Amino acid sequence: MSPPGRLPRRGRLHSLAAPYALDALEPVERVRFERHLDGCDRCSAEVRNLAEDTVRLSRSTAEPAPAALRDRVLAAVRTTPQDPAPDPGRALRLPPHVWGGQPPARPRACRPRPLLVPYATATAAAALVVAALFAVQADRTRDELDTARDRAREIAHVLAAPDVRAAGGRDDRGRGIGVIASASTGRAVVTLSGYGDPAGGRVHQLWLMRPGAQPRSLGLLDGDTPLPASGLDRTATSLAVTVEPEGGSPRPTSRPVVQLALESVGFGE
Amino acid sequence: MEADELLTLVADGDQKAFEELYAVVSGPVYGLVRRVLRDPAQSEEVAQEVLLELWRSAARFDPRRGSALSWVLTLAHRRAVDRVRSARAAGERERREARRARPPAFDQVLEEVEAGLERERVRRCLDRLTALQRQSLTLAYYDGYTYREVAERLSVPLGTVKTRMRDGLNRLRDCLGGEA
Repeated sequence: MSPPGRLPRRGRLHSLAAPYALDALEPVERVRFERHLDGCDRCSAEVRNLAEDTVRLSRSTAEPAPAALRDRVLAAVRTTPQDPAPDPGRALRLPPHVWGGQPPARPRACRPRPLLVPYATATAAAALVVAALFAVQADRTRDELDTARDRAREIAHVLAAPDVRAAGGRDDRGRGIGVIASASTGRAVVTLSGYGDPAGGRVHQLWLMRPGAQPRSLGLLDGDTPLPASGLDRTATSLAVTVEPEGGSPRPTSRPVVQLALESVGFGE
Repeated sequence: MEADELLTLVADGDQKAFEELYAVVSGPVYGLVRRVLRDPAQSEEVAQEVLLELWRSAARFDPRRGSALSWVLTLAHRRAVDRVRSARAAGERERREARRARPPAFDQVLEEVEAGLERERVRRCLDRLTALQRQSLTLAYYDGYTYREVAERLSVPLGTVKTRMRDGLNRLRDCLGGEA
């Protein structure tokens, strides 16, 4: 959710429809434009048409694929499980190629990957999320733990990305911040622990820090409840938490109480 | 069977249908990826990822939102562009030097287009665009440049590139006809 001050102008965004259909936007713009599309039926229809037009350009490029490719793909298919159908309510509002809209794979992804790795990693990621959750919630009641477990399951599902990684830090007073993130999908889950609630009805607000750009709000943190965030662009260098007036601010109004570098989880290109 | 129908069967886990789908889409997918990436080994790798993703994500295909072939090629293009940009980011400095040394060959891709009916039609239609429309489209679609990079390479304002892309696509639609 963009704070009010950062909503891009409609006209300017709209002119990005053709570059978007040609996959000619930078990752940050792509994410922003897709967020815009999500709430604009007219734009989605236009993008759909433009996307059909761009596909015409591929009519001149078809060429037979190497025979070895067929063998490899068909062999992989026999051992690869399929993803379940997406939630229809959400899928319907999205333009045709948004589902493939993750930011570019990092250069290190260039090396060939064994086919089943994503699944193994997803399981590992799920375990990580659950561990991170319970580490800060050990003193909770049974009911609260059950709620947390449900949430963990939800989050683990969101983070079932092949490149998910975790990072965290703790200060000498035992307060800490943890993040589990996937650079390829631009998603993350952030947990703050030991900071309590700020006095006077104020709130902890989470920001994405990028070089040469304003901090972007990722939402408000509620105690130590994990906060899922999406649309993280690869240029992001760190996460920061500030204390803000009730309801949050469009821009940080105070110095961060804690900051965490994202380099080790695959960001900061 | 048409790709649309096959993809629906594939979504239900039909491996035979996938083999048929492979026969229909592998050429267009591999060719497009190859056009963008140039390098055969990398192209094969990305094509493999895309084709396997079709198997995994077939359930996400919604025929109400466009044809299966469009869906597949859109995915292939996105993956190819993402890969070429990653590779390019690595060698960006070298290329900046090279660009200073000699002007870029904008229409290179057109010259490389081989004979063939579809190729010929697309080429003829591209030829009917203005040079700026054509270059904006081909640099973005076939070479994987962002519109900012296209503007920089062509030394024109960003707004101009955006409108040329849109106009170019519209004219291409008129020239190539309605059938996808």
